[in-house]
Amino acid sequence: MCDTCGCQLHEHHHHDAKVVEVNQSLLAANQKQADSNRHHIEHMGAVAINLISSPGSGKTTLLERTIEVLKDTVRIGVIEGDIETERDADRIRAKGVAAVQLTTGGACHLDAPMVHGGLHVLEHFAKGGKYDLIFIENVGNLVCPATFDLGEHQRVVLLSVPEGSDKPAKYPATFRSADLLLITKTDLLPHFDFNMEESRKESLTLKPELSIIPLSATTGDGFQDWIDYLQALLQK
Amino acid sequence: MHELSLAQSLIDQLLDLAQEHKAERITRVAVTLGPFSGIVRDSFEFGFNTLKQSRKRTRHAVLELETPDPVYICLDCDKVSVIPFSLQNDPLDVTYRSLYPKKCPWCCLTRLSPKGGTELILNQVEME
Repeated sequence: MCDTCGCQLHEHHHHDAKVVEVNQSLLAANQKQADSNRHHIEHMGAVAINLISSPGSGKTTLLERTIEVLKDTVRIGVIEGDIETERDADRIRAKGVAAVQLTTGGACHLDAPMVHGGLHVLEHFAKGGKYDLIFIENVGNLVCPATFDLGEHQRVVLLSVPEGSDKPAKYPATFRSADLLLITKTDLLPHFDFNMEESRKESLTLKPELSIIPLSATTGDGFQDWIDYLQALLQK
Repeated sequence: MHELSLAQSLIDQLLDLAQEHKAERITRVAVTLGPFSGIVRDSFEFGFNTLKQSRKRTRHAVLELETPDPVYICLDCDKVSVIPFSLQNDPLDVTYRSLYPKKCPWCCLTRLSPKGGTELILNQVEME
């Protein structure tokens, strides 16, 4: 230990040491790119939604149904994040809208520079590069994506009934970062011991102003509330 | 596992700073990890200490991590309290933690909403 200042360094030369005050976020580089993505998206005429959830909670199915309802009136583009495969983008393309697949090759989340690349590709698919609504489907993961702003305008977190109502309490950072919580697969409520009250109470404790919409993409229950939310977003 | 990408971006920031200040090596790095940042302290430290080896300028950098105590606002009485995370290896605490949720020290109710605490900040860098 250094006797002069008590630090843990063995070879310490105080005479030529220099201390620099930085006081900058570790995420500064990502944040800068995210802000420029937001600007880019607005220039494309669109609002963007970052969809976050565990794998298998219904992000892609939600998008398929949403596209079926909106595609005649709203210009939609989708950026898909996955570790491997083009499968999700193919499902979206089958619905007749432009989709870009980002494969992270192992990374557990999307970051702003990856989305930047995706936006440029997406731009080529539309007339004049214009969209109304861009969905960014994050890598299925309820932990890491929470930390990275992608340049979205709204962050939507999905919690599916089979996952269990204790998830907001267990993964607080993600639920706290959401603007809207969708409780999906509500048609399965009779088959699981999902406690709607618990999931509401715990996510509202984490974030009192959070909006919550329960829905089922299969039966269509509650789906109109989600469409209304999107329409209101597009009006802004 | 996003701790590794954050550690990598810290190393990149340090290399830029070393170049900017014409320093030969970084000796000490002070970072604040907010209590609700969702970053695992041990993984971040491990990532940093592994990645720093790859560059001459960061090889000797000692990472000093600080995590402030978490702050909550009670949704029932509106009072703000600092409630430290429990002590590690406290057997009583480990046994009862899940049975007794955290309570507001003012009104004893449990609707404690996290306040701030998501920051990840590079505060200070010492270099030679």
